[in-house]
Amino acid sequence: MNGVKLSRGDAVVWLLAAALLVGLYTMFWQADGHGAEAVVLVNGKRWARLDLFQNQDLNVPGPLGHSHIQVRDGQVRFVNSPCLNKLCVHTGWLSQGGEVAICLPNKVSLQILGSDPRFDTINF
Amino acid sequence: MTRTLQTTRDDYLIAGFTALAITIHIAESALPSPFPGIKPGLANVVTLVVLCRYGWQMAAWVSLLRVLVGSILMGTFLSPTFFLSAAGALASVAVLGLLFTVSRALPGWAVGPMGYGMAAALAHMSGQFWVAYVIFVPHSGLLTLYPLLMTLAAVLGIVSGLLTRTVLTRLNSTPLGGNPV
Repeated sequence: MNGVKLSRGDAVVWLLAAALLVGLYTMFWQADGHGAEAVVLVNGKRWARLDLFQNQDLNVPGPLGHSHIQVRDGQVRFVNSPCLNKLCVHTGWLSQGGEVAICLPNKVSLQILGSDPRFDTINF
Repeated sequence: MTRTLQTTRDDYLIAGFTALAITIHIAESALPSPFPGIKPGLANVVTLVVLCRYGWQMAAWVSLLRVLVGSILMGTFLSPTFFLSAAGALASVAVLGLLFTVSRALPGWAVGPMGYGMAAALAHMSGQFWVAYVIFVPHSGLLTLYPLLMTLAAVLGIVSGLLTRTVLTRLNSTPLGGNPV
């Protein structure tokens, strides 16, 4: 009819609603499942705790030799490891809380710490 | 011995408006929805019209009776759908009550259909969402949907505000609709 014309009270309600929506987006969409830290375990024991936003390269000593782990901009991965099938390397970059990459032969594992770990598996 | 219940004009109005709201509610439930929990909420337009013309108390009756009777007719009474819908209606009735009281107290800042529509839609969605989250699906993944659902609710709130305003203008210009509070 005559478009969206608001009274003063309506305008206040709409402003509050807009503020609420902005607040909701910052609250629930900012804190996603990205982990900020990772742990490296060797032989089941904690070897290092990594800050994912501090880029670095590590050589982690295991029974077979050194596993090369790389941290870049909130992600971490195995670059190389002295194992046969390189499952850990093929796991690729990890960034979500709860994600793991494991080199069983070299007994080195890497896990992202997160308050809200994603699912290990989902069954239907 | 017979007992006669005294009925007032308000009782008839509540019954009539509730019947109208239930009709719309049922017609609307036949529409397919792209999202669970998202409905145009056209039945709420009736609540808003009653609120603007007859005050909060009658609007609360119409809204809550609509949920109750609507669910009995749809066969969803005491099912999850019913609890979601009841939580939404309670939340929106509460928020509307707050705004209505403020409007009465400060006439210069009185809220109109557009404001009521927005507030009711957001409150309805919130009530429904938190019941869904706390009781039915307590997984934090659901929270990611919350801002999105609230945005959709805001859009639908604008639509129901516009509809309410149109209905009110029409009602005020008909001879039969001429006795608001």
